[in-house]
Amino acid sequence: MAQTLDIESRGGKAGTPLLEVQDLVMHYRTKEGDVSAVEDVTFTLHSGESIGLVGESGCGKTSVALTLLRLLPDNSLIKAGDVKLDGESLLELDEEQMRRRRWRDISMVFQGAMNSWNPVYRIGDQIREALRLHWPETLTYQEETDRIGALFELVGLNPVTMERYPHEFSGGMRQRAVIAMALSCNPKVIIADEPTTALDVIVQDQILRELKKIQQELGMSIIYISHDIAVIAEVTERMGVMYAGKLVELGSTVDVFHRPKHPYSYLLLKSTPSITGPRRKLAPLEGEPPNLLNPPSGCRFHPRCPFATDRCKVEEPNLVNVAEGHAVACWNWQEVPEIGGLQK
Amino acid sequence: MLKYIAKRFGQIFILFYVFLALLFLLLDLQPGDISQQFVGNPNIPPEAKEIMVRQLGLDQPKIVQLGNHLWNYSFGMDMGVSWASYPREVSEILFTALPRTVFLFLTATILSFWLGFYTGKLVAWRRGTLIEKTTMITSIFFWTIFYPWFAILMLWFTSSVLGWFPVGKFISVETWIGAPYTAQSVFMLMLGSMALLSTLYGVARYAIDRSVDDAKTRRSYHRIALWSLVALVLVLWGINARRTYALDIIWHTIVPVLTLTLVNFAGTTLLTRSSMLETLREDYILTARAKGVPESTIRDRHAARNAMLPVTTSLVLQLAVVIAGGVITEQIFSWPGLGRALLGAITAEDIPVAMGALALIGILSLFAHLVADITYAFLDPRIRVQG
Amino acid sequence: MADILTPPTEEREVFDPKTVIEEPLWRIRIRLGWRAFRKNWALFSENKMGIVGLLIIALFGIMALAHPVLMATVWQEHQEGGKNVYDIRAGADSIIVTKTIVEEVTDTLTEISQIEAMFLGTGVNIPEIGDTIEAPLANPAPPVLSGVPHPHILGTDPFGGDVFSQLLFGARAAFLLGAIAALSSVALATLVGTIAAYFGGVIDTILMRLADLVILIPLLPLLIVVSGFWNVELTMLGILIGVLGGLGGTAIILKSQALSVKVKPFIDAARIAGGGHWRIITRHIIPNVLPLSFLYMMFAVTGAIFTEAALSFLGLLNIQQSWGIMINIAHTQGYTLEGLKVWWLMFPAGMSITLFSAGFFLVGRAMDEVVNPRLRKR
Repeated sequence: MAQTLDIESRGGKAGTPLLEVQDLVMHYRTKEGDVSAVEDVTFTLHSGESIGLVGESGCGKTSVALTLLRLLPDNSLIKAGDVKLDGESLLELDEEQMRRRRWRDISMVFQGAMNSWNPVYRIGDQIREALRLHWPETLTYQEETDRIGALFELVGLNPVTMERYPHEFSGGMRQRAVIAMALSCNPKVIIADEPTTALDVIVQDQILRELKKIQQELGMSIIYISHDIAVIAEVTERMGVMYAGKLVELGSTVDVFHRPKHPYSYLLLKSTPSITGPRRKLAPLEGEPPNLLNPPSGCRFHPRCPFATDRCKVEEPNLVNVAEGHAVACWNWQEVPEIGGLQK
Repeated sequence: MLKYIAKRFGQIFILFYVFLALLFLLLDLQPGDISQQFVGNPNIPPEAKEIMVRQLGLDQPKIVQLGNHLWNYSFGMDMGVSWASYPREVSEILFTALPRTVFLFLTATILSFWLGFYTGKLVAWRRGTLIEKTTMITSIFFWTIFYPWFAILMLWFTSSVLGWFPVGKFISVETWIGAPYTAQSVFMLMLGSMALLSTLYGVARYAIDRSVDDAKTRRSYHRIALWSLVALVLVLWGINARRTYALDIIWHTIVPVLTLTLVNFAGTTLLTRSSMLETLREDYILTARAKGVPESTIRDRHAARNAMLPVTTSLVLQLAVVIAGGVITEQIFSWPGLGRALLGAITAEDIPVAMGALALIGILSLFAHLVADITYAFLDPRIRVQG
Repeated sequence: MADILTPPTEEREVFDPKTVIEEPLWRIRIRLGWRAFRKNWALFSENKMGIVGLLIIALFGIMALAHPVLMATVWQEHQEGGKNVYDIRAGADSIIVTKTIVEEVTDTLTEISQIEAMFLGTGVNIPEIGDTIEAPLANPAPPVLSGVPHPHILGTDPFGGDVFSQLLFGARAAFLLGAIAALSSVALATLVGTIAAYFGGVIDTILMRLADLVILIPLLPLLIVVSGFWNVELTMLGILIGVLGGLGGTAIILKSQALSVKVKPFIDAARIAGGGHWRIITRHIIPNVLPLSFLYMMFAVTGAIFTEAALSFLGLLNIQQSWGIMINIAHTQGYTLEGLKVWWLMFPAGMSITLFSAGFFLVGRAMDEVVNPRLRKR
């Protein structure tokens, strides 16, 4: 039953800056010392835009997401930087204020959403919980049910299933339900952390299409986090590449794919085979990501970088704009060659 | 879920008979012939031995004996005649004792579980604080202390040192001299009124839940119903002539129940805390936080509700401990329940009473397990919805 | 590409790892085992409670070992009426000491009341207050270290036996019982659990039904009846507790552990490599279940000690001496309500049982954090 669903992005006029992350630094304190998990990350999400964060496991992308929602564990410390949503600093709020903004302003689709559901309550009731916490007016039980039903239809689920328990849903269905729950309070921003990992390829494709459709129809601002470049390529307009806690490249997805300027992005793209492009030798990345307890001096990528020079070992490069809307953190970005034969 | 209950009930039913058969085996393996026991017993006339042998069917094949045994102990309700208190029937002796043990067991289990869960839940939330450390140490102390010694200490402390409570036993004989009621009748009336109160409360809650939608008003109605029922019961007892006798029984009941509850409360606290700590690592707790759910709600409605499941499972294994504790409590406080009957029978070599007591305690245990299994099925939708 | 399709013509050398690895296999195994032990020890020792538990167990170990040593050396010479005073069952201190007759007895060691003196006397003269008289050491006697021929560090029990000696012997009994019960219980539970998990099907159902039955039957009441019918002594009790305990809840828990090991890929690999059932069970599954088994052995000890002490306390066992019996004697001789006045009768024994249990319990809990990483505190 089609219902008019008043889901709209409350992010304001399309194109205006919505979420501004400035010089964010976050460390985890462990017995062995401080782990530098997020170092000087800066990017801006505009209203109606979808931005991707790509990088290996452990590069800090999920940490960034958790910092935005202030869901970090007790042993974490935000050392510097700021996060502004609609001009308001999120880091300066106290816990109660932040709690009220969670889900209502920023919601999140977690990695492995199968386990995001509490096994002892019905799926519908768990979404109801979100509505009751944040929806500005009090809804009647029926109104809540209607809204959840409409949300379900939006993500491709049968509204009848909202009375079921999580164990009665398949993995793909649970994932869709999580997306429905993330949309439920009309958030300004949605963070999707590996939304399709652990799903088979067909379901993965379906869900990505849904997300893209929702984003375009509703003008939702989304941050995608993934280690899979193919996913990022498919759904985002802009993307950032993270390595060892640092944002090393930031630009439009098309630009970064066609003309990566950071050696890491270059090697990353070169190591991905392409069905349509010409045959070329795959260039795997040598070595392993650094131990963030004791990161390398200078540029964190220099031990593995084929373009590294002496300067890279000493001075850490900052993220600077090198072309229209395209920033990179590398001293030798000029040396990075073109990727041959990549069609989009 | 009904399928699950039915299946479990069936299993327990069969296990019950296996248990009875084992008891028969035990009886049979016992050194010497049962009838020989009669010869030495001064209470039983010698001619009775012949009659006994025929009556007990000792001259019949073993299978028939087994069959008779199973029948008698279940449907026939005939557990023989006591040797030490000849010619009282075993069932008469034990069924007098049964409600007392059930009362002790039920009260201790329910109180200790409820309090223990509540405490464990709160303590797990405050990891690393002084409260947590103190609670943990106290709980470990009460859980590991040697129970008979602890019970003796409690008895000594409450009666000799404080002087507030009697030295064990069920009633103070002086109070009851010339009483128009028997202790058993007053006790049964007390149990009956408690059972009635619980049932009425359950019904009232159900009715309230069906008619009222809003959670807050529902809860206040629950409270009104509870307190008005309690007030009613108290008034009815207050005007009753039996009240002094009832109070005497209650006065004797407090310390035994307290002792047994304390130890199991500690155990449940430890269990709940561990379970909560494991549950707090789950992803759905992070999701609940991300949704902006307040901390106390996360603790109670998300974490505790799930932590309850392993605790209930472990409780099943802990039932044996509670029963053992009950037997020891009865012995030390001279509380006339099944446990004390069992011990008295063993000491007096009164085998029918001993076997009967063991059988009844076993039935109590089976029943408790069944209830625990059903409770678990009720709490876990993964079983409730698909069986 | 073509050379892959043609089969090799020459004999290929069979690769024998033994020719490359220089160390003997057993030494490698020991090294790996030692490394694993050190790692687990580091995890274990993070938890202070575990260390406390170990210390407690060590203390009792010393006590248990001390008894035969003391009996053979220091206590050897203390004889009274042909028997060693410190002997745990037969010993009785009936030494005669000199006591003063007083109005009110405050020190039972050196004073005696007039009435009692009259009972002791020859009957002709009424003893006066202030006189001295030869009288036996009143049992139970409080701790006394000097002034008497046989020092009693913790006093004597109502029959004259030395409490300290009994306490030390009790440690020995406790370890013995604990070892028998825990080892048999866990060995049985591991075997049953693993077999049920590995073979599944009918065997699984039967074993699980059996475990169900064992859980349902209340252990203490059953043992009460059994010890009433038969004469139960220490080894037999240990085996009984072991069997009846091992087949129950522990078996079910270990079975689920064995199941989680069975589905791991390396088991499939072992089977493909030609491993027979028993080889896989003993070489692969059981070693991975053992850490959990070892954990439950700790809790099995606490249960066994409690059961033995409770049964001894109820006077149902035929054991030489144990802490439970000490409390039983105090209770049956009517000293329960005397409380602090005769503290040495119940307090050391009760405390020993408690601490012994607590020691194993704490070690068990600390091991829980090693075996189950989710409980760790970051």
